[in-house]
Amino acid sequence: MSLLALSDITIRYSRLTAVRDVSFSMAEGEILFITGPNGAGKSSLLRAIAGVTPVAGGRIDLAGQEITSQAPENIARLGFSMVPEGREVFGSLTIEENLLIGTGMHANNRGWRTRAASELEAVYATFPMLKERRNGQAGLLSGGQQQMLVIGRALMTNPKLIAIDEPSLGLAPNITDQVYERLIVLRAQRGLTLLIVEQSSARAMMVGGRMILMRGGQIVLDGDARTLGNGEAIQAAYFGYEDH
Amino acid sequence: MSAVVSETPLAGVVKAAKKPARFSLARRTIITPILLSLLLIAITLITVMTGSRPFNQTVIDVLVRVIFVVGLYIFIGNSGVLSFGHVGFACLGAYATAWLTINPIMKSSALPGLPEWLLQTRLPYWEAAVLAALFAGVAALIFGRVLMRLSGIAASIATFAVLAMINTIYSNWDSVTGGTSSVVGIPIIRTIWPYLIGAVVAIFIAWAHAISRSGLALRAARDEPIAASASGVDIPKERLVAFVVSGAVMGLGGALMAHSIGVVTPDTFYLSLTFTTLSMLVVGGMGSLSGGVIGVVLLSALIQALRWLEAGVPIGESTFAMPKGLQEIALGIIMIVILALRPSGLMGNREVTLPRRNRG
Amino acid sequence: MLQILFDALSLGSLYALGALGIALIFGVMRLVNFAHGDVIAFCVFALLWPSTDAMAIVFAGQLPWYLLVPFVLLCGAGLSVLCEIVVFRRFRKANPATMMITSFALGFVIRYFLLMLYSSRPKSISLLPTLSQPVEIFGARLPLLQLITIIATMAILIGLTLFLRQTRFGLEMRAAAENFSMARMLGVRANRVIMGAFALSGALAGAIALIFGSQTGTADIQMGASIMLMAFIATVIGGLGSLGGAVLAGFLLGAASVVMQVMLPVDARPFRDAFVYGAVILVLLFRPQGLIAARGTKERV
Repeated sequence: MSLLALSDITIRYSRLTAVRDVSFSMAEGEILFITGPNGAGKSSLLRAIAGVTPVAGGRIDLAGQEITSQAPENIARLGFSMVPEGREVFGSLTIEENLLIGTGMHANNRGWRTRAASELEAVYATFPMLKERRNGQAGLLSGGQQQMLVIGRALMTNPKLIAIDEPSLGLAPNITDQVYERLIVLRAQRGLTLLIVEQSSARAMMVGGRMILMRGGQIVLDGDARTLGNGEAIQAAYFGYEDH
Repeated sequence: MSAVVSETPLAGVVKAAKKPARFSLARRTIITPILLSLLLIAITLITVMTGSRPFNQTVIDVLVRVIFVVGLYIFIGNSGVLSFGHVGFACLGAYATAWLTINPIMKSSALPGLPEWLLQTRLPYWEAAVLAALFAGVAALIFGRVLMRLSGIAASIATFAVLAMINTIYSNWDSVTGGTSSVVGIPIIRTIWPYLIGAVVAIFIAWAHAISRSGLALRAARDEPIAASASGVDIPKERLVAFVVSGAVMGLGGALMAHSIGVVTPDTFYLSLTFTTLSMLVVGGMGSLSGGVIGVVLLSALIQALRWLEAGVPIGESTFAMPKGLQEIALGIIMIVILALRPSGLMGNREVTLPRRNRG
Repeated sequence: MLQILFDALSLGSLYALGALGIALIFGVMRLVNFAHGDVIAFCVFALLWPSTDAMAIVFAGQLPWYLLVPFVLLCGAGLSVLCEIVVFRRFRKANPATMMITSFALGFVIRYFLLMLYSSRPKSISLLPTLSQPVEIFGARLPLLQLITIIATMAILIGLTLFLRQTRFGLEMRAAAENFSMARMLGVRANRVIMGAFALSGALAGAIALIFGSQTGTADIQMGASIMLMAFIATVIGGLGSLGGAVLAGFLLGAASVVMQVMLPVDARPFRDAFVYGAVILVLLFRPQGLIAARGTKERV
């Protein structure tokens, strides 16, 4: 059974249709890249799954439940955790407070306090830098550190699926490499399902997994990142050369 | 993403600002002020035909409020900045007309602090109203020079501070304004026509400003601030133009209001008038001239209907009367319901116009 | 000198508490709540039995203080939450101007509801009469009430700070105030946080009602409005959405009013408020984002 399934999703902003009839599904443990040029509708799609952008049509299912038009906080409770574009750390809060927000939704379960503490330790073990500065203001971190923080913050909700919108945005290539290293380790450790949006498909080819290429609000290619990786087909799809 | 789509309307606006195109823009849009004026003329004619005194006064109030709300629209509607200060300019206009029209003998005993030449002046009300509008416009220019650098909520609060300042000064400067006590002796004008003319003039001023280069640029800046300033729109300057024009219209409204009731106090032009007029604009639709006018007419009609209900309506044998205070409560609830159903007001951003016969 | 300081502090306390009530709600839903002043008035009138007579019939006002205080705070919180559930919930996505006018209309409804029950005449009430005795501190005679006002305000501010810093709910509120949709994506329940903000804000309105009611000894339907104007301004020059800024600006405004009252030449004193408002415009010109710009509330042009 698929963990996440989208069928015929359409998203509109007043007159502009950002996403048109997009369908795909993800199996548990899968890693899926959504790539495509600016304005392809990738971010809109992620935000729609998270419940912050309304969909004009279609249906989204997560872990066997329909989540179309559900409140974001309820979607988060079903195990979907979002790392949005531009990271959106809570700049006025401390690093530890940033991490702890996501544990609140489990507060009614028994023993959440100890679980939150052990989660916190686990995140600190993955990102030791965060532990060093745990009481510092999150707004003062560098871009790469903020990216680590928001991935850590997403992990704290104990998700089944993490969606990351452009983790490389505004980061130096070597920092991006570090971020991806951690992500791959985390995926192996926790059996996470990863949904990653990137503009360029280069990273997807490097990491491997499945890749969807979007253009103009529609899916143009869907397949193994490494096989799709051979130049021509993907370039044609990306830039929209049509040879007929 | 949205910047890409919105390029088209902005380009359209800029193109429309060029000379030959502007003429066709004027021809295309003039139907709106004409229709709105016809609506007011119709209401006025009905009033004159019924010949009822209290009804006459009610419609005069409506027409004065139309002037206020149109004045508010010129700034708020075009700039998108909410102003709480405009009623202050109405206050300036009302006192200016009081200074210019009250009988000199009464004036020198009630307002001894006025300069000698002003004490001796006595103008007909319509001259005084025009001067009052100019006076308010100049005041708006002075305040606006300082305020228009601000945007958003900071600008709203600053305009509010202007209102409070004007109110404090006029409430305490006893020798010139009579302080908090009423200034009486302003000639009362009971015929309805001057008010109708004032309202129609205000509507046409608003229309002329809206299709002027400045008004178009300001609306472009309201919808797409970044794109507009990138294409060379000087936002503070265009806002200032709108602020001054709207300040003058408010001054005109204040003067006419003073002549409709014959007395002024600073508190006549304070919070309650501010909120009444703002509510009418927002309920009608902040971004539309038609919305402002229709908001006034509808809410005024509603208030009047509720007053009748409160006074008692005969139903068969008995009389049905609402308890006192229910009128305002009902008004508040109806406003909330309208806004819940139509958050951008009854008209939204649209204007009344004739159905298009031929496009292009 | 000491007298001036205490006057400034106690006036500033009222403004600061009022500004805090507005900033809390603005923080989570970008609503400038004009109905807040009417919630304050409602809390005072809740102490009286509804009647349109000139004589006030004291009802809950007779309770001993340890019941009276929670009663008034609960009244404020209850009414405020009710406003959220019945009205503001439907306006979450509306633009700020629409929300402002809605809150104004709602305040209007509350005000005339009180007017219908109690008539518009101000009524004298004596709340906690033992508090009006003077006490002597460092050679200055001060009304005990002023002292209690200041102490109570400090206690409220410290309590609120602890609440926001130390509790999970406080953390969620701070996160939501900074970035509401991100907080929701992390599982923070929107309705709960907003209702919490309204409840806190309403309780603060109750506190103001108690303080102001005992200071003036009257219950007046207009009473909320005068504090609200200043509190509203304090919220903006403090930096909309910044709680610390709202408190700071509240105290500054209180201080400015009291100091100007003393320092201005006699002829200019009646115009004191005009100078205060002029100062407000100056502050806004130099710091349009407010004294302490809140994060995440940056405005578009």
